[in-house]
Amino acid sequence: MLKRFTVKNFKNFKDSISIDFENIAGYQFSTDCIVDGLIGKMLIYGRNATGKTNLGKAIADIRFTLFGGLVKTGSFLNVDSQEESAAFSYVFQFGDKELTYRYARYSEREMREEELLIDGQTIFRCDFFNEEYNFDNLKYIGAETANTERYLQNSLDEDDMEETLGPRLPFLRWLTSNVAFGNDSPVIRLSDYAEKMLFITVGSVTAFRYRRINDRFFEALENEGNLKGLEEFLNAMGVECKLVLMKLPDGRKELYFAHETKLLPFYESASSGTLALVDLYRIILRAGSASFLYLDEFDAFYHYEMAETVIQFFKKKYPGCQMIITTHNTNLMTNRLLRPDCLFILSRTGTLTALCNATMRELREGHNLEKMYISGEFEKYE
Amino acid sequence: MNDYWGTGRKRGRSLLIVEGNHEKNKLFRLIFQCFPEIHIDMDDIWIYGTNIYVLYGDIVKEYGSGWSEDDTVGIDLPFIISKKQHPAQLCYKRDFINIILVFDYERHDTNFSEEKILELQNYFVDGTDMGKLYINYPMIESYQHLRSLPDEEYVNRKVSVSLRPGKEYKALVRDETVLSAHFGFTHKVEGLLKEHFEIQEEQIWKRCYTAILNISNVSDMDATLVDTLQNHIGTDQLRTAKYQFKDLILKQGYIQNGQTYWEYMRDVFKQIIYHNIRKAKHVQSGYHEIEEGQYKECFEQLDLAEILKIQNLGSRDAETGFIWVLNTCVFFVAEYNFGLVV
Repeated sequence: MLKRFTVKNFKNFKDSISIDFENIAGYQFSTDCIVDGLIGKMLIYGRNATGKTNLGKAIADIRFTLFGGLVKTGSFLNVDSQEESAAFSYVFQFGDKELTYRYARYSEREMREEELLIDGQTIFRCDFFNEEYNFDNLKYIGAETANTERYLQNSLDEDDMEETLGPRLPFLRWLTSNVAFGNDSPVIRLSDYAEKMLFITVGSVTAFRYRRINDRFFEALENEGNLKGLEEFLNAMGVECKLVLMKLPDGRKELYFAHETKLLPFYESASSGTLALVDLYRIILRAGSASFLYLDEFDAFYHYEMAETVIQFFKKKYPGCQMIITTHNTNLMTNRLLRPDCLFILSRTGTLTALCNATMRELREGHNLEKMYISGEFEKYE
Repeated sequence: MNDYWGTGRKRGRSLLIVEGNHEKNKLFRLIFQCFPEIHIDMDDIWIYGTNIYVLYGDIVKEYGSGWSEDDTVGIDLPFIISKKQHPAQLCYKRDFINIILVFDYERHDTNFSEEKILELQNYFVDGTDMGKLYINYPMIESYQHLRSLPDEEYVNRKVSVSLRPGKEYKALVRDETVLSAHFGFTHKVEGLLKEHFEIQEEQIWKRCYTAILNISNVSDMDATLVDTLQNHIGTDQLRTAKYQFKDLILKQGYIQNGQTYWEYMRDVFKQIIYHNIRKAKHVQSGYHEIEEGQYKECFEQLDLAEILKIQNLGSRDAETGFIWVLNTCVFFVAEYNFGLVV
């Protein structure tokens, strides 16, 4: 589980900003938001352009570091800062081991430094800028046989490297693909966790809708259980319907609403709200195996009650998945569903504050948090 | 300024609904000064004077007679009041972080109604939302009704229902309280500065006033007083002024402990609050023993509506009836954050 995340000098976050999943208060209600003493379900509010999407991108950076991917467009470093690199720090707890993985990079392609610590002990440290490397403690993770010479050789030899990451391949990435670790090795658990992090933004959801036919999704639906699941999900969310998946003459699949005598093509006739729900169901199918889920304004298209139902659904179905949801839906700001230590405000100045720390008032279960937020109770932290 | 903002909305305000006199808002101002953590900007407090039954009538006029039974209504007091006071500039409860109603029990009011007052007490339970009603028994002055500190007898203190509130009860408190000098201290300082030493300019006397109340050290006291006053009081009077203020402060007794007036009063308030928690528990459950460290828990179990019912019952008989002396408005602080009174 992710315990703490800190980023600095990345996109709109000039100063350091942290999410501390450990910082919980002793509320006796909505305890299903907490998993193993860490925040499991977190909601982030904030005015427009405070960086809710960027915060997700920042957390997602570890997945890019360890598994690569397309280099994104847009400015990487904070444009107002003089510093040349952005710094990321992730603290994980796996069993009784605390892992800290931190690195700094000049751009999405170029690392500046990288370090891994287990229980405060440095395992390796690479300072690519000064070309200083310390691999002395690899034995603590059973990686003393790793041929670090080769890694360094490769690092210097730019031509050998993958296009997407440039000259400085992160050492941890190299290590996990060149050393055979046991499944319970903390390094593997970290790598697994990062691989199973899922980031969904409104942008990526709507883009899918125009592609209309997504073969992989239909493939997943071919599994009878999943189609039934989608139908049940839609019904549970208040969209009464019956669905069928048909094979077209050209071999492709198409989804239909089954009416008594006729079939209605799903994507041509479904409302935008229903389509949004289908997108959500796709997420749910994928979230089943996710370690961490960042849902950026997922409920922009939903009725307020539906958004609440969806959160209930995630809490019940995926209790162990750490989730961050960004939203403008203040109706979700309630102790019935969440709690003041799981509800956060991201401010224009780049601070992230839980409601319980945004006022001197002692927040109680009976308080109407939404009304308090709107009235300005937490104004100093907005 | 651009054109996108319109008139703008002012948030984070506090509304204090009290009966027409100034005692109540003075008490709250003092509370806010002693507990700066509450962060209430004095300029953002809107004080509305009214009678509890007039307010009741206004609510009925706006929302109908079944107002308290319908959960979906959501009584908006700032709206009701602003509509009456300045209809061109309506306010809504969403702009207020605190809505506090403070009223005297007033058994003698010709409009007194056990049902209406209970209906209000049952409804106004959350100061951050609809509003919170604090009823003081028999009236606001009960916060000073301690004969000593601590006052073991306070839990048993009651007054006959035949005792006229207002004049008679006020006189009784004046006779019995040990606190009046503490609460009157700010007025004394203000009076001396303004009337006796004739510092008329508001900015100046306020500055002196603040400096004097913030003195917390006996050894610096002389120098601070001279520093503060020397340019505003004639040299011939400066010595007298210094001794007079010094005497006044020393008599209060707080400076000897290295405290400012506000720090000292904060402690006094804490004691008042604790006395009233014990008292409320006594009224509600018939017994008042609270173990050290259990005050918060006990406080959370208090039920102001239950207490009102008991008071209603006890004071029904015009001859033999009585009212437990109890001040609930000081509970505002403990409710805001119990940590402030620990």
